[in-house]
Amino acid sequence: MSSMGRATARAPMEKPEALKAPLFRLLVEQLDGAGRRHILDLGAASTPMLSLLGRSRCRVEIADLASDDGIARMNVEETSGEELAAMAESLLPAHHGDDDALDLVFCWDLPNYLKAKPLSALMNAIAARARRGALIHALIVYSERTMPERPGRFVPTDDVMLVNRGAAAKEIPAPRYSPDDLRRIMGGYSIDRVMLLANGMQEFLFRLQ
Amino acid sequence: MFERGKKEDGMDDASDFRPAAPQRSQAPVSPKTATQSGECAVIGRSIQINGDVRGDEDLRIEGDISGTVQLKNSNLTIGKEGKVRADVYARSITVYGTTEGDLYATERINVHINAQVRGNITAPKVGIEEGARFKGSIEMDQDAVDKALGKASMQGMNHQSDKESKVAPAKVVKEATSLNRPSGAG
Repeated sequence: MSSMGRATARAPMEKPEALKAPLFRLLVEQLDGAGRRHILDLGAASTPMLSLLGRSRCRVEIADLASDDGIARMNVEETSGEELAAMAESLLPAHHGDDDALDLVFCWDLPNYLKAKPLSALMNAIAARARRGALIHALIVYSERTMPERPGRFVPTDDVMLVNRGAAAKEIPAPRYSPDDLRRIMGGYSIDRVMLLANGMQEFLFRLQ
Repeated sequence: MFERGKKEDGMDDASDFRPAAPQRSQAPVSPKTATQSGECAVIGRSIQINGDVRGDEDLRIEGDISGTVQLKNSNLTIGKEGKVRADVYARSITVYGTTEGDLYATERINVHINAQVRGNITAPKVGIEEGARFKGSIEMDQDAVDKALGKASMQGMNHQSDKESKVAPAKVVKEATSLNRPSGAG
């Protein structure tokens, strides 16, 4: 995997296309009619996402990790493991015990923007808040060697596809985490399912063991 | 201080949620509240309140409030200049400014572009506009919303009972109000 480097210019994006994400659709379908669910969204809050989740009985935590330079702070090279763990704790919503355990986490494309150690610390902090069997949904850059310099702003469409409304114009090298990389980084999670999407990203469902 | 003001043009605030004024052509007409007359009370931008704000009419906050805000049957708008560090209870809450604390609404909460909300949101319907900043939890499960609002209501009643002797029966009541002083100092 390559480290994240300097940004290069990219042609301005036209209107973003809706992306079929079968595992995301599956998760949403499973939410319908299910009991009460506790969901964590690591991205920013959006009305389309809340409308979609609001169809089911759920409580949604919004971490908005990309705000307040959360990603940049976690990616600082010399940060120790303990400091990373503390930082990950501070970036996530407070945990109130087992009754409050997470069932589902939406990471979107955020893992692409974290180096291996910070990503591992974040996933450990999430594991401490989640019930066994909880699912993590992520979009990992796979085919392309570069990616927008900032995480996207993914929102669902009415027909449960995904649109990235916040793709940055500049690009940086993508880490292109492989399934083996992710297994190593995300100890405690197994890969439940993987799908290759039309935009060259891989859609992952991880399950907390 | 609590000015009566018509809403600014171009602000699609809580008016979306206001019920139509009752049609009582033959009944004796009681003095109109701000809500019925299409106006709302306004806490201006130079006003700082450290304490509880309660009322039974629509309110717009452009000032600085610390404590609690309880407008159980009315609509609250926190304007662009408004800074609220308080738990807030209202029928609907519309945020353009900054809040830190938990927001409870029986109908709807809307967070608009450039608003900053840090705390938990409890309402059956929630809208967060692109460009708004929000960190916290959102409770939309109707059972949990009812439970939370019931509990919050009880807490509000207990709190009111505790303070009854100190609270004037005004439409909007402030306690321990400190004007033009840094909040937290009073």
